[in-house]
Formats: sequence, C-alpha cells, structure tokens
Amino acid sequence: MCFNSFFFLFFFMLINYFFFVYFIMNGLSVFFEWEIISFNSMSIVMSILLDWMSLLFMMFVSLISSVVIFYSKSYMNSELNLNRFIILVLMFVFSMVLLIISPNLISILLGWDGLGLISYCLVIYYQNLKSYNAGMLTALSNRIGDVMILMVICWVMNYGSWNYIFYFDFMKNDYVMFIISFMIIIAAMTKSAQIPFSSWLPAAMAAPTPVSALVHSSTLVTAGVYLLIRFNYLLIDMFFFKVLLFLSILTMFMSGISANYEFDLKKIIALSTLSQLGLMMSILSLGFPDIAFFHLLTHAMFKALLFMCAGVIIHMMNDIQDIRYMGGLSLYIPLTSLCLNISNLSLCGIPFLSGFYSKDLILEMVSFNSFNLMVFILFYLSTGLTVFYTFRLIMYVMINDFNLMMIYNLYDEDYIMLNSMFVLLFMSLLSGSFLSWFIFSYPYMIYLPFNLKLMVIYVSILGSILGFMVSNMGIYSLNKLLLSYNLSSFLCLMWFMPNLSTYGLSYIYLNFSQILFKNIDMGWSEIYSGKGIFNILKNYSVFYNIYQMNNFKIYLFSFILWFMILFIFFFI
Amino acid sequence: MLTNNNSNKMFFLFILFFSTLISISSNSWFGCWIGLEINLLSFIPLISNSKNLLSVETSLKYFLTQSLASINFLFMILIKFSLLKNFNMNNIISIMMNSSLLMKMGSAPFHFWFPNIVEGLSWMNNFMLMTWQKISPMILLSYYFNKNFLIFMIIMNLIIGSLGGLNQTSLRKLLAFSSINNLGWMIFSIMISENLWLFYFLIYSMMIFMMISLFFLMNMYFMNQLFINNMNFFIKLNLLINFLSLGGLPPFMGFMPKWIIINFLLINKFYFLTFIFMMTSLIIIYYYIRIIYSSFMFNYFKMKWVNLLMKNNMSLINLSSFISISSMILSTFIFM
Repeated sequence: MCFNSFFFLFFFMLINYFFFVYFIMNGLSVFFEWEIISFNSMSIVMSILLDWMSLLFMMFVSLISSVVIFYSKSYMNSELNLNRFIILVLMFVFSMVLLIISPNLISILLGWDGLGLISYCLVIYYQNLKSYNAGMLTALSNRIGDVMILMVICWVMNYGSWNYIFYFDFMKNDYVMFIISFMIIIAAMTKSAQIPFSSWLPAAMAAPTPVSALVHSSTLVTAGVYLLIRFNYLLIDMFFFKVLLFLSILTMFMSGISANYEFDLKKIIALSTLSQLGLMMSILSLGFPDIAFFHLLTHAMFKALLFMCAGVIIHMMNDIQDIRYMGGLSLYIPLTSLCLNISNLSLCGIPFLSGFYSKDLILEMVSFNSFNLMVFILFYLSTGLTVFYTFRLIMYVMINDFNLMMIYNLYDEDYIMLNSMFVLLFMSLLSGSFLSWFIFSYPYMIYLPFNLKLMVIYVSILGSILGFMVSNMGIYSLNKLLLSYNLSSFLCLMWFMPNLSTYGLSYIYLNFSQILFKNIDMGWSEIYSGKGIFNILKNYSVFYNIYQMNNFKIYLFSFILWFMILFIFFFI
Repeated sequence: MLTNNNSNKMFFLFILFFSTLISISSNSWFGCWIGLEINLLSFIPLISNSKNLLSVETSLKYFLTQSLASINFLFMILIKFSLLKNFNMNNIISIMMNSSLLMKMGSAPFHFWFPNIVEGLSWMNNFMLMTWQKISPMILLSYYFNKNFLIFMIIMNLIIGSLGGLNQTSLRKLLAFSSINNLGWMIFSIMISENLWLFYFLIYSMMIFMMISLFFLMNMYFMNQLFINNMNFFIKLNLLINFLSLGGLPPFMGFMPKWIIINFLLINKFYFLTFIFMMTSLIIIYYYIRIIYSSFMFNYFKMKWVNLLMKNNMSLINLSSFISISSMILSTFIFM
C-alpha cells in the first residue's frame, strides 16, 4: 500500500511539474467548468482552475506527501492498521488538491472541511488522552473557519454564482464584499493559526510525525495562506488586511519567543512553523502575494524535512521528545544530522540555501517600501529570534555533550527514511533558486543602504550568539531562571492565549449549563412533564377504578337515573 | 370443548349472525329492535357454561344490561312514533335512542358492565363480544344520531378508555378498555361516513382477532404471564407488532383508519377534538408498550417457574405479522 501510493503520488508530481513548466512558460491557464444545476438565479457549477500557481502548489504537495508516505513505511512499521493510516493520508491529499484547484467556493468548502476533518482523524490517531484533547482543540479551531466559509457562501449568493474569481474586479467596493473579505480573513486565520486561534498548532504535535511533516508543516496550515493569495485582489485595500498585518506580526514575534523556552523537540518545530506562517501572512498583508507564495513553497520543503529528521531522532531516543536528553548526536548519526543542519540553516536564511531566497527577499521588501517602525522592528527581531531558537536547538541536540540516554539505539542506516529525507534535502537546497527563476519573470528592484542591507546578517549573528550562550546550562542555571518566573511563564505559554481560548471560553457556559441541568432538566421539567404527568394520570386511573369496582345494581340504576333526568328536564 | 356443546353453540352462532342481518336490513324501527332482541337471546347460550359459576354470573349480568337497553330502545321507538308530527322533540328522542344504543355497545358513560363481563368470558367469546356485537348498534346509531350528544360521548369514551386501562393487569380488561377507546374513534367515523366506519371496523376486528388468537393459543389471561423466557422470537415480534398496530403507530396497519379520521378532523377544523384523540392515543400506546417492552430488551423480567411449550404453529403468526406490517404500504399500491 505504501509503495503503490508513493509511486502514484510521485508520478502525479511529475505530471504536475511538466504541466507547470509548460503553463508558466506560455502564460496559459485552463478553466474547466461543468454546470450541475441552475435554478432561479443561482447556478451550481463544478469548476477546476489550472494555472501555474495551482499546478506548482499541487506539485509540491504531491512531492511532500509521496515522500512522507514512503517515510511512514518505516516510521510506522509497528503499526497494525497501517493501511488505515495511508488511506487517511491519501484522503487528506485529495482534499488539499480539491482546495488548490477550485476557483469556486463550494469546492473550496469541500476541500476545507475535508482538511479539517481528516486532520482531526490523523491527530487522534494514537488514541490516548493527550491525542484526544489535541484533536478536539484542532477540530474545533478549524471549525470556526469552516463556519466562516459557510457564511461566505451564503453572502456570495448575492452575486449569482459561487465562482468568486469573476467578481473581484467588478464588485470591489461593494458592502457585501466587505463582509465577505472579513469572513475570509477570519477563516484563513483559523486555518493558519494566527493569534486568536494559535493554540491548536503546538497541541497538534500529538499526531504521528509523518502527519506533522505533511499536515502541520506544509499543507494544512498553508491552506489559509493560499486562500488569501487567491482572494488577494479583493482584500488589498481593505481595512481588515491591516488588522491581519498586525496580528500576523504579533504571531511571528510571539511564537519566536515561545520557541526559545520550549524543551520538546516537536513543539519547537511547531512554533517555528507558526512563526514562519506569521511571516507569510504578514508579507501577504503588506501587498506582496507572490513573495508570500514563494516563501510558502520553500518553507514547505525544509519544514517537512525538519519534521522527518525529528522523527528519526525520536525513534532513536526510544520515543523521548525532550531535547534535554539529547546531545552530541552529530558525531553518531551523520546523515540525519546533515539533513537536520541543512534544513535548520535554510530556515534561518543562510545565504544561497532555499530559505535564503524567500526570506531575504521578504526582509528586503519590508525595508525598501516604507512601513512603520513597529513592522520593521518586529520583522527583524523575529528573524533574529528564528536564528536564536535554531541555534539553541542545534546546540542542544547536536553539539553539547552526549547525554548517554540511548547508547545502543543510534541507528542511522534506515535507508527508507533516509532516502525520503534525501529527496527533500535535494529540493530544499535547490528549490529556492529554482522557484525564483520560474516565478519571478523579472526580479524586484531593491536599492538599500549598506547597513540596512546587512541588517539581516547583524540580527542573525546576534541571534546565533545568544543561542549559543543560552544553551550552556550549568549547575545553577535553573535557580537563575526562577528569578524571572513570572515573565518567563508568560512568554513560554504563548502569552496565555491557549488558556483563554479553551478554559476561558468554556468555563462560563459549562457553569451555566450545570445550573440549567440541575434546575430544569432534573427539576421542574420532571414535574411538568415526565414524572409529574405520569403521577397525575395514575391518580386519575386509581380514582376511576374506585368507580369501576361497584355493585352491579348501581350501574343499572345509573342508567335509569340518566333516563329519568332526561325525561324530567325535557318532557315537563 | 365437548362435541355436544360445540354443535349447540354452532346453532346459536348461526342465529347470532342472522340477527345482526335482520337488525341492519330492516326498514322499520321495529325490525331493528327485533334483531337486537334475537341478538341478545342467541348470545346468552354462547357464553353461559353451567359448569362454571363465574360464567353463569357473567351471562346473567350481560342479560340484565342488554335487556334494559333493549327495553329503553323499544320505549323510545314507541314515543317517537307517537310524537311523529312534533319535531321539537327530535333532539331529546334522538339523545335517548342513542343512549340506549350506546349502552348496548358498552360505550361510556354506560360502560361499567363491559370490563366486568369481559373478565368472565373466554377469549373467543370476548372476540365475539368486542367485534360482532358492536355491528348492529353502530349501524342503528348511524341511522339516527345526534351530533352534539355523540361528540360528548366520544370524548368520554376516549378519556375513560385511556385512563381506565392504566391501572389494569388483566389482559382481558386491558383489551376491554382499549375497545372502549376504539369505540370513540368508530363513533366519530360513523359521523364522517359509513364507508369509513366499515373500513375502521374491519381493520379493528382483524387486529383484535390476531391478538386474541395469539393470547388464546398461549392461554394467557394476565400480564405477568407475558414475561416468559422461552417464547419463540417470532411470537414476541408478532405481539409487539400487533400491539403497536392497535395503538395506531405509523408503518403498521392500524394507523391507516386513524390517519383518515385525523385528516377529516383537521380539514374541518376540529382542533380540540384532534388534541383529545391524540393525547388519549398516547396514553393507550404507553400501556401497550408497557406490556411488551420487557420481552424485547436485553435485560428483562423472566418468570422462571413457567415453562411454555409452544406448538409450531408458525404460519398463521407469520402471516399476521406480515399483514400488520405491510398492509398499509401495499394498500397504496393497490388503491392509489
């Protein structure tokens, strides 16, 4: 099953690649449309839009998913129901493809809901209490986005069809479009875990690692960004875009800080994903959708690779995910640490790896166009924080002393996992330059003063030094950390937002519903229906029975009495 | 049953059938009365069995009530003939004639003899009492009824039929009260159309026949005899379906006539009466389900000291279940 789906998806990726090259070289785009039904003034059509953006994204999605399925053949080989897992992953890929190729809100909804539902099934795959809680958090946060898209469908009915791409040029200043843009932005924010809804992404790391590699690094969370890229013409002058800018910059900053306090390997990578998502959203809301798309694709490559390396390390450490138990692994697992290092450095934006092309372009665009000071500071600060936690991670896992946790399990020759990582390694090295040659037919004109140009390097060096210094834990380090307990718990627990969106939202309602349940369900409604009516009927029946159990003579006499009454009253 | 009694009872059964035909096909009120009298006289030998004190008492009670009603009926007929030209009296005379016919049938408020007598009869005699004996009074009712009085009687029937049955454990009394309730529906259907009454009556008698034959085969007279462990599954299923059908639950046969009556009620805006019909039906279904549910759940009461050996008489039971379930839907294929 693994091999079949791997080959199928790889072949699909190759088809997409060739079509992408053909389409972007000739500037083609193909639009299939099938009208299912047309009644009153609405027409329900099923349409498929194939332009270079959707083909490119499909190519990347199918590449990552084929590699992840191949990887999970070895990662999940002790799983009894591996076929179930593979089928769930394939359904996920299908929903994602449906979302990518649809210019039409109904099929976007199908893909969107499918993504949410299947990611819930995948997160709860291990079926323990933590997975259930994480799955519930994931599903309910995504559900808010589903509701928003349903309402958008309802509002777009004003225009007569659900093909939204036709209405952007004509209806930009309409009040209806204002509401639609608000809802679309909220939907994208829930899917891509921006600030009000960001608590589900670190929690969803309870999923198996291949699921994290596919879902939570490159496909599910980028679906929101992709939706906004498609809707970009509509949203570009709207007020809510500025709100989105503010929130996504804060997301970027907050998750960068929180990743510095984390000691769980997958959570660090999850928070790094969150930070890069904030980066994508913020550059999108500044008005550069193609750069956002570029960063989306390159980020997908190295983040998936990073998750897969983390999976190998977790397997080796006998399922321990805490980085304090790891150390010095670069000496013992050279190939895996090669992949880990390259993906980490690409994440930081080290020159000429794939992440450099997108990240550096983003930062230079931010400096070149004049935005306000807060945007500027937070962007560069978050870049520095990225390098900070990356170097901290590398120091803890690779460079510090070997902690002797698992001395006999250091097995680097699992070539199934390694081959799948090498494919992504190749892509994460080259995809930056390759994509920049394809997507940008002419480069952006950027002219910066010398120090501003080198600002990235200053911030990166600062971050790396700090990362090195923080990871030198001595014997009294824990005491010194306790001095700043309040501040560090605020920063580490994602600014307490997960508590707000879970406990804070549900406490009042659960309290109120307990009062209602006790007083009404088990109280008054028992006496006004249920038991009360039963008692009334039973008493009537007993009362009637007293009449029934009588002398026979009385029955006959009652009949005669009835006739006498009739006679008396009507004949006399 | 001894053969001697059997042939005698056959003779009286034959006369019973003829008496009803006399009563309903006469063109004078006297003929009706004659038919009713012959009905009474031929039913008494059917139910009396001199070896059993209870059945003697039962037949005596039946004789007393029915003869009282017949006397009243005759008297009212004579008054009606003598006051032929005085139309002011129509209302009262129709009320009085209807009351005597209602007492013949065992309808409220003159129903007090009915559960008593039903308790003393065997199942087959009960079947005759509940179905055949109602034909001639109802048809006579349809010849000269007083609408307002009858609606009042219907409401009383419904309420007494539902409330009286809640506190019963004897199966015969339960079916008696359900018969009183169904009398309410049937009297109302007389006021709608005689065809509808015939339809309701046929379906009702078919359902009663299926249930009574089931109880007769298993020799069950009381509710606690129903909680038996080793009843065949199909017998339990048949019991369930027949009870639900009698209560008027939709996919079963008994829903059809009630549906037509409710349709008429709603079209003609009898909203309060509809409410009473519905609510009393609910109470009736409650105590039907109370009888049979325990045999269907996973944990149910089992009487371990009763061991019922069932003869393999499955074909009739299967056929009756099939008819109860499917006849409503199949009838739409035939008639619509």
